Amino acid sequence: MAGWTALRRPLKKAPASFLSRIGLEIAGFGLNFESDQSGIISVLRRRYGKFRAAGKPGFSLEVSGAPGSQSPFKPAIVLTGSRLEIGRGDFNSSLDLDTGSGSLRAAANEQCLDAFLRSLISFLLLRSGGFMLHSAGLVKNGKAYLFLGKSGAGKSTLSKLAAAAGAEVISDEINLLRFEKGRFRAYGSPFWGEMRADGRPGSWPLGGIHLLGKARENSLSACPGGEALKLLLRCLVNFDKSPRAAELALKNSARLLAAVKFGRLKFSKADGSFMGLVK
Amino acid sequence: MNVKIKKELAFRRIAGEVFIVDAAKAEMHELNSTAALIWEGLAAGETEKVIVSALISEFEIEEKTARADFADFVEELEKAGLLASV
Repeated sequence: MAGWTALRRPLKKAPASFLSRIGLEIAGFGLNFESDQSGIISVLRRRYGKFRAAGKPGFSLEVSGAPGSQSPFKPAIVLTGSRLEIGRGDFNSSLDLDTGSGSLRAAANEQCLDAFLRSLISFLLLRSGGFMLHSAGLVKNGKAYLFLGKSGAGKSTLSKLAAAAGAEVISDEINLLRFEKGRFRAYGSPFWGEMRADGRPGSWPLGGIHLLGKARENSLSACPGGEALKLLLRCLVNFDKSPRAAELALKNSARLLAAVKFGRLKFSKADGSFMGLVK
Repeated sequence: MNVKIKKELAFRRIAGEVFIVDAAKAEMHELNSTAALIWEGLAAGETEKVIVSALISEFEIEEKTARADFADFVEELEKAGLLASV
C-alpha cells in the first residue's frame, strides 16, 4: 500500500523533455534549433555557445542527423515563393520564410553546421540590405572597420597584429553587415579564419572600409568607387545564384559606397602601428 | 540588328560606371563609357538606330564609327554570353 500512496502523490516537476534545444542570435537573426538527437545540439552549443540567446524570435528548425559527405561542397540555394531550400552533400534544409519554421538534416559536426549557418546568414543579410563579407573586422573608438581581401591578402595577419596592439577583433575572416535605420552596422561574427576565436555578440556602427594590401610601410590612400565596388563584390559571400541575389548585391553595394568611406590600406607586418591610420 | 540582353543579369550604374553581375556564373563585367551607353540603350529596349544616334551625339563621332562601335560591342556581349537568343 505504501507504494500505491507514493504513486498518487502529485508530481512536483514537469516530466523531463526528450528534446534538446538551443537558441542563437547571429547578426540580429534569431535561430532556434530543436532536436531529439542531442549530438547536433551539443555541437551547436560548443561551437556557437557565445551567441546563445534563448527564445529570440526568428526561425525555428527541427534538426535531425544525417550522415553525408561534403560533396558537393558548395551549398545550393533555391527560393520558391517563401520556401527556402539550402543544401549540399552533408546537409539539407527547408525553411518557410513567412512562418519562420523549417527543418534541417545535417551531419553532427562543426564544418557541416558552419557551412549551413554561413549559407543561411549570407542569404538573410543580402535580403535585409546587408552583406556577409570576406574581411577582417576591427573595433576602434567604438566603430567597426572592415578590411576587404581574398585569401592571402593579409586579413589574419592584420587581425593578429591589431589584437596584439590591444584592438578588439570582430573576425579575421567573415564579417556581417546590416543596414539599420539608415546606417550600416557590423555585427559580432562566429565565423573565423586562422585565429579560430569564438567571437562575441554585439554590434558597432560602421566607421569605414579598407581594401587591404601588404607593404613594407604603412600607408592609407583614397580608393576610387569602381575599384572599391569590384573588390566588394569579389569579397561578398553569397551562395544564391539567382538574378535577385545579383540585383541585391549591386543595390546594397551602391548604398554602402554612398554611405561609407572606402580607402586603401597597405600595412607592414612589423607591428600594429597601422591602427593609427585607420579612420 | 535585333539584340536583347539576358533578363537574368543585374546591372547598375555605380560611381559613374556600369557594372553587370551574372550571379549564375559568379561573374562581374565593368563597362567603359561607350559600352555603358550601348548597354543601357539595349536594356531600355532601344533600337540600334537610336543607340547609334546617341553615340554620335554623346561622343561627337561619325556615324560609321558609331555603327562599328555598336557592332563590336554586341559581338563582345555575344562572346561573353550576355545576350538572349532572339
